[in-house]
Amino acid sequence: MKLRLKILSGFLILALMLSIAGVWSIYELKSIGTSVQDLLSDNYKSINASKMMIEALEREDSGLLLLLLGNWQEGRRIISSADSLFEAAFIIAANNITIPGEELYVDSIRIKYQAYKELWQGPIIDTQKQGNINWYFQTLHEPFLAVKTSVKNLGTLNDQFMFKTASELQSKANRAIMPGIVAIIAALVFTFLFNFFVNYYFVSPVIKITASIKKFLDRKAPFDARVETRDEIYDLAESISNLCNITKTQATEQ
Amino acid sequence: MRLNIVFRYIGFVFLINAAFLLVAAMISIIYGDQALRPLLYSSIVTALFGVFPLIFVPPAKSITNNEGLVIIVSSWLLSCLVGALPYVLWGGEFSFTNAWFESVSGYTTTGSSILTNIEALPSGLLFWRATTHFLGGMGIIIFALSVLPSMGIVGMVLYRSEMSLLVQESFRQNVRTTLRILFTIYVGLILMETLALVLCGMNLFDALTHSFATIATGGFSSKNDSIAFYNSSTIETIVIIFMILSGMHFGLLFTAIFARSKDIYKSTVVRYYLLALIIGVIFTTNNLHGTQYQSWVDALRYGAFQIISIGTSTGFATTDSSVWPSLAKILLIFFALQCACAGSTSGGIKADRLVMFGKAVLKQLKLLQHPRAILAVRIDNKIFQDDILAMGILFICVYLSVVFIATIFLILLGVDLLSAFSGVVATTGNVGPGLGTVGSTGNFNHIPVLGKWVLTGTMLLGRLEIYGLIIFFLPYIWKTRTKR
Repeated sequence: MKLRLKILSGFLILALMLSIAGVWSIYELKSIGTSVQDLLSDNYKSINASKMMIEALEREDSGLLLLLLGNWQEGRRIISSADSLFEAAFIIAANNITIPGEELYVDSIRIKYQAYKELWQGPIIDTQKQGNINWYFQTLHEPFLAVKTSVKNLGTLNDQFMFKTASELQSKANRAIMPGIVAIIAALVFTFLFNFFVNYYFVSPVIKITASIKKFLDRKAPFDARVETRDEIYDLAESISNLCNITKTQATEQ
Repeated sequence: MRLNIVFRYIGFVFLINAAFLLVAAMISIIYGDQALRPLLYSSIVTALFGVFPLIFVPPAKSITNNEGLVIIVSSWLLSCLVGALPYVLWGGEFSFTNAWFESVSGYTTTGSSILTNIEALPSGLLFWRATTHFLGGMGIIIFALSVLPSMGIVGMVLYRSEMSLLVQESFRQNVRTTLRILFTIYVGLILMETLALVLCGMNLFDALTHSFATIATGGFSSKNDSIAFYNSSTIETIVIIFMILSGMHFGLLFTAIFARSKDIYKSTVVRYYLLALIIGVIFTTNNLHGTQYQSWVDALRYGAFQIISIGTSTGFATTDSSVWPSLAKILLIFFALQCACAGSTSGGIKADRLVMFGKAVLKQLKLLQHPRAILAVRIDNKIFQDDILAMGILFICVYLSVVFIATIFLILLGVDLLSAFSGVVATTGNVGPGLGTVGSTGNFNHIPVLGKWVLTGTMLLGRLEIYGLIIFFLPYIWKTRTKR
């Protein structure tokens, strides 16, 4: 192989090693960025919506207790605003299904909330329900707890997924760093290897050739510089050897 | 020492590793797992390091014995390093020490693992893990010499440096034929076992990885519960048969299969190896019956599998042998020290040396009775001179010294006596599982970092039959370089 190709191959290998590691690190870093984005936009949004729904349910429950006590105006106002809050939060959760199986959790909330809502939508004041604490506990409280549990389950699902994504981020960070570290170490080792070969196959033969020419010129010693490889340096040594022989022959003839 | 020549031949080993890393990367593509990038990058880096010396260094006409030894030991050490690369890049449970441990354990066909959840690894990495067994089983250089075109004198020197004297003595054929025999039997047994396991209902991936581990007498399984996962006596029987075959001299197997020779039945070593296993199984079964298992069938099933698994230095498991009674445990330790026959993929002291040792003791006893008698140790019509006997017995002494010293190291690091001793015995013999916390259902993850390095040292010492690795680190090998 020609000298130029040998040297080029060394640099090409070095460049290839570093660029692949670089591209991989960039890819992994980009992937970390996407994961963080997913973490915030997908899971955190749903967790927040769950918290809003639980807050709304608690307020609805307070409103219902006020209605039971006969405070129609305050009770209806609280229930109405809490219901709007619940619906708004539910829409966020329903439009943010990102985890496999999350749809089932959202459907469960919708069905259970609908059933719960039907229980308190009708009039309470001036009916037999007013002041009836047994009705509250026997009819209302169970569905209330059922909706609340479903909402909590949705929150837990997103919490767990968030934890999993965060854990994956750690290994992704490791995978982003490791190619770089490996490439640096490999490049250092490769540089030593390259340097060794350059010294052994380029520098040493040139020194040998120079020394042999010097010996020839000083002491008319025969040119003797053995080159192991079949490249330009070998050709150079051969040419110099021929030149020396011709010079020696001419000198003898004269 | 011509380092350029050393680099050239290590380059071939790197290229073989790179090719198999590429195969593992393809497996990763097929299974669509996330190990593709670590495997592909490792393959590229390894290939580049392999190709580079070949560009610069022209082939050598011959190499010295020292150069041969340096090529062999460097190839093992660097292969282990290259093998650790995909693990390090993958991360998870793999710190650098853990990755090095897993890789050394793979190449030396030890089968000890630091993984607490093997099944969590992607298929590509699991395949690579099994491939390290495949490459290490025959010996990385022997494998390279078998698949690459003839290297002439260089190949012969490398062969002599890689094979222990015991193995060289046991093959009557020339180098090229011996390599062909080893390769044919090795690959043939893998294919046969894979087919048999597939027919028993195992999927192709598991069948192939378990075959790599069986024939290389490695022991890495793709399942957390090892062979116990399948809970199938048919699969266990097949694995037992192939474990026994893998522990036999490949040359004898070859002549038995292709030349219909009966040498295998006449061989003293093979007879001793089989008899020892049978006696071990009988004693273990008897010991387990009533203490661990109420039925004789269960006692035989689990007892036989564990004894043969340890006695062939494979290391698969079907039960937790750490809870077995003392007699069964001591038998396991004996078989972990002895292992199988020379000329196989097995590690340990080897049955051949124990036969030699036994005959030497008998000779000594006879000499005490008849001091002037001229006696020779003869195994299968071959007379062993005193220097060969001394070498064999010295090897046993050095081997046991290594076990003793490494055990002390582990105890100093806080590992309990049983786990330390059995762990060292299991790693030096390239067996895999020990007893106690490093038993057949445990792993080596909890061993201190320094302890893991000690154990990888014993694995390499065991695989390179001790002397090779020690000589590599002696200064005179390297001093010759400056003289030249």
